[in-house]
Amino acid sequence: MKNTSKALAALTQAALALPGVALAAEVQSDYLFSYYKEGDISGSKSAGNASERYEILSHMFRVVAPLGDSAVGLNLTYETMSGASPWWIQPGTNGAPQVVMSGASIREERVDLQGTYSLPVAPFQTAFTLGYSTEDDYEAINAGVELELEDDENGVTWTGGLGYSSDTIKPVQLTGFDRIDEDDKSTLTLYGGAALVLNANTVVQGSLSYQKGDGYLTDPYKRIWLTSTANTAQESRPDGRQSWAASAKLRHFLTQQNAAVHVDYRYYHDDWEIDAHTLEVAWAQSLPDNLRIIPSLRWYSQSQAFFYAPYYNAPRGDGFGSSDYRLSPYGALSARVDVSKAVGALAFGGGLEYYKASKDFALKSVDVENPALIDYWSVQLRATYRF
Amino acid sequence: MRFQHFSFHAMGGPCSLQLFARDEALLQRAAATATVEVHRIEAKYSRYKEDSVLSRINASAGDRAGTDVDPETAALLDYAAAAHEQSDGLFDATSGVLRRAWDFKARKLPQPGQLEALLPLVGWHKLQWRKPRLVLPHKGMELDFGGFGKEYAADRAAGVLAAMGVHHGLIELGGDIRVLGPQPDGSPWRVGIRHPRAPETPVASIELSSGAIASSGDYERYFELAGRRYSHILDPHNGWPIEGLASVSVLAEQCLVAGTATTIAMLKGHKGRDWLEQLGLPWLVVDAGGSVEGSIHSIGVEVS
Repeated sequence: MKNTSKALAALTQAALALPGVALAAEVQSDYLFSYYKEGDISGSKSAGNASERYEILSHMFRVVAPLGDSAVGLNLTYETMSGASPWWIQPGTNGAPQVVMSGASIREERVDLQGTYSLPVAPFQTAFTLGYSTEDDYEAINAGVELELEDDENGVTWTGGLGYSSDTIKPVQLTGFDRIDEDDKSTLTLYGGAALVLNANTVVQGSLSYQKGDGYLTDPYKRIWLTSTANTAQESRPDGRQSWAASAKLRHFLTQQNAAVHVDYRYYHDDWEIDAHTLEVAWAQSLPDNLRIIPSLRWYSQSQAFFYAPYYNAPRGDGFGSSDYRLSPYGALSARVDVSKAVGALAFGGGLEYYKASKDFALKSVDVENPALIDYWSVQLRATYRF
Repeated sequence: MRFQHFSFHAMGGPCSLQLFARDEALLQRAAATATVEVHRIEAKYSRYKEDSVLSRINASAGDRAGTDVDPETAALLDYAAAAHEQSDGLFDATSGVLRRAWDFKARKLPQPGQLEALLPLVGWHKLQWRKPRLVLPHKGMELDFGGFGKEYAADRAAGVLAAMGVHHGLIELGGDIRVLGPQPDGSPWRVGIRHPRAPETPVASIELSSGAIASSGDYERYFELAGRRYSHILDPHNGWPIEGLASVSVLAEQCLVAGTATTIAMLKGHKGRDWLEQLGLPWLVVDAGGSVEGSIHSIGVEVS
């Protein structure tokens, strides 16, 4: 085709000024703000002064623009984190474990940039991602590819993907202990799934994923307590971790109520012997004036990693040990309400979530609760504009 | 994926939607919404409905105060102004009044003096258009969106379908086509361009995965008298049918732009080919002698 003439440019410009005609050149931009605040640890669970736990402020900007048949997207996240995190756990005077927080409040910034490029490569729809993330003590690059295939005869959409991330950690806070100066890890993720249209109002999705982590998987800022020496030591985790997850999702649209029921279940297992279950139920209600409200409830339960203990009498024979609450046995409940509204080319919304972890919510009974388990409030605001 | 072919009548001709959607409910809802959108535009800019926005504008002719128009109508007027300018005054949304002198059904030439009496009412440049106020200064002046309303409706129908999540479809309104992505297996839609003298015989077959194709021809409304063909494509400068091309087809991103390009090329007559060549969009012309010419074959489209 020849270069665009003046006449064509003038006609196209006038046509695109018409409402609803500029469809091919639609650019979508999003802004997402979120505030996350962990609740303080009650006095009985904490040794020493109760300190403010994590607070995270996050701003995300995203732009997706079509480029003929393909599309490019750019995602920029800026996050500030402050507050103290659990350092180690030691037995209190009554034998109950108490958490020791990492004294001084930290303040960190994280910048994450992700680029995506999607295009059809018959018969697939493909998407490529490349990302870079940096903070004071951390640097990561990631890349991924995703394929999607629609099987129209059987009403099935197949999805598969591969992701790789390479991370470097360089501890900066709390120096002076028996800790690494710098180390790295890599993560490989493989996943595949299918979405099946059962009937006009029901869609089911199933997926399987596999992840393999290699390298320094230990948290350099966490220590363990050894009662035999009445002292702490650097926590230590295996330098490999493989995990498998299977998930099933159901979406059922109720015509009369103009609402949809979402039921999601996920099972997770890894070779650190953690088994986890997630069940989430949501009700997406459409209301007049392009208003949508989605209340949801989520339950989570996990068993502990084989080398986890709140504290240790003596070092384990295999040298591993961690008192991280994320490797402890616990359950969690969270409730969320999300509201969204569209006004012409603009859509905005927000969500409010409360989350609480406890040994009482776990599937199997837990003898000793990790005192560092968290509860948090989270608020999100978002705006989307298409032009 | 479900597929269905929907047919309906609007914009003075047969219309159809060929849609793929992930489920039956979406398919039916999308077809209904797109059909309603086409009917909405037809009703809003109908010359025949007294309460249409266009009829109210035309009723204000002669009123020096003019009338205020809504944003959608304003954007269409801006578009008509751009088309008028780019066609050196040939594309003229005020030229519809010339139809009063031409009766294509009765196959009669205008009475002496009839065209001369109407020509003072023709001329986009006579309008006073300052958004949102439009003044039709002379009583009897009329706007007619027939030259682009149908194509605009095709683009709008595509817009509402895309917004509903339909990404594989073909919209045809009275011969003008807008495509919403390829078929679900990635294959393009195959569209025939009819021969202006043998409408059932395709003169070319093209493949479309996106964008639009519009056609215009002297075959739509015409009569022959004493061996001469009088078509409905009238020169706004003298009121007489333009001779030269039998049909023009143009490919563009928007159906509106494709349709305007075909109309302007028809109005340019023998100079239509040169104008299309300069415009830069793929085109195909059949001239009055039946010979086919154009650049459409050069973009990987087979011409039979």
